[in-house]
Amino acid sequence: MAKMINNLLIKVYQRILIHIEDKAKFKKDYAEVVIARRKSRTEKRVDNLKENLNKEILAKALKYGIQNDLTETFINEKIKKTEERFYWKKRALKASFSRELEKAQDKTILENEFNEKSLILDNELNQEINDLRTRYANTLDNQEQYSLEVKTIENKTAEKIKKIERKSVDNLEDYQEKTDNKLKRLEKQAALFRDKLFSLADQTNIKDYGLEEGVILKLDNLTMRFGGLVAVDHLSFDVKEGEIFGLIGPNGAGKTTVFNCITKFYKPSEGKMYFRKNKIDTVFLNDYKVHQIIKQGIVRTFQNVELIWELSVIDNLLVAAHTLFKTGFFGQLLHTRKLHQEELVLRKKAENVLLKMGLYAYKDSYPLGLPYGILKKIELARTLMVEPKMIILDEPAAGLNDAETLELAKIIKMIRDEEKVTIFLVEHDMGLVMDICDTVCAISFGKKLAIGTPKEIQENKLVRDAYLGEE
Amino acid sequence: MMKLKNILANFKKQFSSISKHPYFGFIVLGLVFLFALLLRNMGLLTISVINTFTLVMIYSVVAMGFSLLLGFGGLASLGTAGLVGLGSFIMGYMHGKAGISFTATIAIAIGVALVVGLLVGFISLRIEGMYLAIITLGLGEMLRQFFISYDTFTGGFTGTSLRSFKIFGKLFESGNANYFNTVYIIVIICFILAMVATINIIKSPTGRALLSMKNSESAAQSMGISIIKYRLLAFVLSSVFAVLGGALYILHTKFSYPPQWNLSYSLDILAAVIVGGAQSIYGIIIGVFLIFGLKVSVLNYIPFFSNNPALIVIFNGVLIVLVVMFYPGGLIRLLQTSWYKLKIKLAKLKMKWRTYRYGKDDQ
Amino acid sequence: MPGIDVAVRQILIIILGLIAIYAALDLFWFRRKTQKSVYRSKALNVLIFLSILTMIVVSARLFTLPIIIQILLLNTVDLSILILATTAVVLIFKTSVTTNFAQGMMATFGAFFAASVVMKLIANGSTNMTLILFAGLFAGIAISFLLGLFIDVMIIRKGKNVNSVGKQMITMGLVMVIMGIIPVIFGSNPIVLPAFSVDVKIFNIGDNPMVIPVQNLYAIVITVIVLAVLFIALRFTKWGLGVRATASSETVASMMGVNTHVITAMSWAIAGGLGAIAAFFYASMGTQVQVASMVPVQVNAFMAAVLGSFGSFGGSIIGAILINVFSSIAPYYNGTWQLVIVYGIILLIVLAKPLGLFGKKIAKKV
Repeated sequence: MAKMINNLLIKVYQRILIHIEDKAKFKKDYAEVVIARRKSRTEKRVDNLKENLNKEILAKALKYGIQNDLTETFINEKIKKTEERFYWKKRALKASFSRELEKAQDKTILENEFNEKSLILDNELNQEINDLRTRYANTLDNQEQYSLEVKTIENKTAEKIKKIERKSVDNLEDYQEKTDNKLKRLEKQAALFRDKLFSLADQTNIKDYGLEEGVILKLDNLTMRFGGLVAVDHLSFDVKEGEIFGLIGPNGAGKTTVFNCITKFYKPSEGKMYFRKNKIDTVFLNDYKVHQIIKQGIVRTFQNVELIWELSVIDNLLVAAHTLFKTGFFGQLLHTRKLHQEELVLRKKAENVLLKMGLYAYKDSYPLGLPYGILKKIELARTLMVEPKMIILDEPAAGLNDAETLELAKIIKMIRDEEKVTIFLVEHDMGLVMDICDTVCAISFGKKLAIGTPKEIQENKLVRDAYLGEE
Repeated sequence: MMKLKNILANFKKQFSSISKHPYFGFIVLGLVFLFALLLRNMGLLTISVINTFTLVMIYSVVAMGFSLLLGFGGLASLGTAGLVGLGSFIMGYMHGKAGISFTATIAIAIGVALVVGLLVGFISLRIEGMYLAIITLGLGEMLRQFFISYDTFTGGFTGTSLRSFKIFGKLFESGNANYFNTVYIIVIICFILAMVATINIIKSPTGRALLSMKNSESAAQSMGISIIKYRLLAFVLSSVFAVLGGALYILHTKFSYPPQWNLSYSLDILAAVIVGGAQSIYGIIIGVFLIFGLKVSVLNYIPFFSNNPALIVIFNGVLIVLVVMFYPGGLIRLLQTSWYKLKIKLAKLKMKWRTYRYGKDDQ
Repeated sequence: MPGIDVAVRQILIIILGLIAIYAALDLFWFRRKTQKSVYRSKALNVLIFLSILTMIVVSARLFTLPIIIQILLLNTVDLSILILATTAVVLIFKTSVTTNFAQGMMATFGAFFAASVVMKLIANGSTNMTLILFAGLFAGIAISFLLGLFIDVMIIRKGKNVNSVGKQMITMGLVMVIMGIIPVIFGSNPIVLPAFSVDVKIFNIGDNPMVIPVQNLYAIVITVIVLAVLFIALRFTKWGLGVRATASSETVASMMGVNTHVITAMSWAIAGGLGAIAAFFYASMGTQVQVASMVPVQVNAFMAAVLGSFGSFGGSIIGAILINVFSSIAPYYNGTWQLVIVYGIILLIVLAKPLGLFGKKIAKKV
């Protein structure tokens, strides 16, 4: 009885803990987004002010006839503009002349005319440039007044900028403090529940279904039958935490069926599957439905790329973050502020993932028509949105060329090292499997042949027979 | 002078940021329709044009619900007519005859739509694709038969008529000028609200979930999207929109009789959504206008068509066939691409003029 | 008719009992089996069969068998029409993967043409009625055949990457076009189309006299002949093989050298012809051709195709027969609600068997 109550309590505490942790994480991420946005806004304002200042200084300089860099560039720009205007005038003249030249009989007169006209144009140009120079140069040269006024303006803007910056820094500090406080409070709460949880977990024998230390996924006598066909036959193995585990086998050995059983696309005919969700919680995967698997921390990719073709790449990633949205349907219908905040945070996260995977350039394009290698990478990026414990890759290298496969191997290793996830993959490309996997399991006709390090597998006679056919 | 310029520039900036907001277009559209009412009251527009506008708005509400189902959820249904009819009869009976208050009637209608949507949704879990379309067609026919046979509720073949309605304690009787204006304004408000709701759903996780369900069910499921939940949701949403459309319909036309809610009405809604563009709100409105409004508001004024009413039907049919054959994305896609093409053409013309005026660049 | 309530109650009780037995079996037996789904689907088949059987047996007790036979005999013309329409729908679905909403309109067009040919011949002073009607029938078949051919070759195939919903929409547009064209060509009034014969034939089954209109006999004979020819063609000709290949996968078929264009065009044409026969008999049943006359038949044909599964001709014909039996007996239970009853039964059956009575499920590979 007490054990039951304890188990119940553990579940409740876990729920609360997850809730608090999610909240804290969201607050933190949102604060980051907000701070970045506010900073950029102040920067923009400061830039605007500086620009205005320059304009005003220029106006003053022109008024008092001071010659400095600003007025120089201003006048040069004006001159350039007039020159350009005359360039086009000349070109138009030339074009009309060449048109008339074809029709005309007496060409010399026309040529003379043209030369005359272009000379006039040149003169006009020179005249205008001279005008400009004199207009801006011959006013009185009142250095003192100028410097006085400029100084006041400069001081004013400097003050303004300071004010804005101070205000924004204050605001940001305020905000930071507030969120920090909130986070601290949340962390305190979380710590409280965590302590309770751990002490409870120590007291009671929590169900870990006999999983050994360090094992994250355990298959026990998994069997899958389709009618009379036995696709997977009493298969059992353990996947250790943090490793890259490869499942290999000849065509039709039932590799993908194993994946489909783990992710519950198929209901296994027999056998049990356990998954260590976190330190305390171990789940019995048979009890869950397909769409609940992702919440346990398992994400998968597909053999033939399954992307949402009608959504842009970043929206595809947001689809993967579906379970992270906490706003309910009516919140979405009214488009509440919370939804807006969540969208901001998750969009930022998706952008970060894309940056990490080197896909940022494809952010807003649609997947239809992108190269196959990119599509595979997008699928991989999609799995990273929910920070899973385990990623299941179904033939990640299928359809890729050698260079792309090499890159993929690097990316998979990087993901394992940076995200601290376990990777479980099915692959045909032996090079890739032997290169990156820590453990390899070979199956044939749904039965386990051997399990071990890549080297052991390579030397195993049974595996060789299965691949090359028995001699 | 400088300051005024600044203010103007600022205003322009603000305006451009406002005009990019999706609600802006909806409100402008609503105001345009409202302006039409003003013109009508000044005697500049005929009543038939206003009637067309009202019908277009009402049917757009229905079609938007349908597009959530078809364009986003990828689920075909041919039973829309039955639901619209249901909405109209609930309004006619509950409010017109039984004297239940307006808001309560709307609540009842939404409740009924919820139940029907859930039922059809559960059916859709087992039956898929073309089979689902035809089964919903059967359901629509069943509803029609139900309307015809259950005459205490619907009035049988003679149908139900609504003589007056009461909203916020004010009574509006048909035949009164106030009645017409009030209904028109109610329809505009509902139309804007429906558009806002639709765009909110489309641009939210729900919309993405629906689209992913349409594109790849397995990917959706592995991303934590429950197919059951979103199928039910899609059907419930579309039936709520349809029932509300029906309620508005009887407010506007003041009558509703069972045989009119037949297969061809469902097909018309489907055609409107497909012809306009199933994933764009403006596209849907264009489609609805083409299917339901073109005849009354434009073609009847062209003597060639008004002399041969059969040609109008042919014209509509040919239009549907051509649009579907050559512009699978709907008319809105055609408009977008032709706008793009026009821009390119203008740029080319400009280049041509430039070479004529100034000669070639390499000279 | 008294006793109907009792019969309805009996049917309901027996069916509920059967469902209870099924549920019990499911709870205590199938669940423990490793191949649950196989057991379940087999048990469901038995359940559906037994339910239909109960309906028939109880009805037979109520009406006595001769009466039922009499009812069915009187409805044979409906049955032939429904079977022809269903076959046409399925034929187009198999080759073009779309439901043809214009089926009824194509048929009506043929019937209008047939009727106007008949009128012309009568006006010209021909007297042999049977011959005239046959001439009209063949003219109608020919024109619908050409119309079907035209629709596929000139319209459906010319579209740019049109999917199956798109094709559906095109056929809907065609409904409008044909509906508009008919009054332009044939005038806006309904055209009279006489029956082959208004006589009835009386014969005995045991001691019970049976009545069957001669018109029905014509319909049955023509339908049987047409269907026999069609099935022989499907089974033994190259075209039939092509239809079956196209149905399983159009791209693969075209890669293997099947000219899928010819196959689909022929299917549309033949569907048009079948529809024309159906519309001809439907019109002569009501003695005149109307524009919207084929709509209910078309809806019923769709339902029949769903009931029996779109994938098989035999299945859909059985579906058509079932619908005909239901809808000819249902009015005697309740006249006003017959459509609801019939479609309700179909809905329940299809809920139990989502791909129709004879459909086979193809699992999608993930």
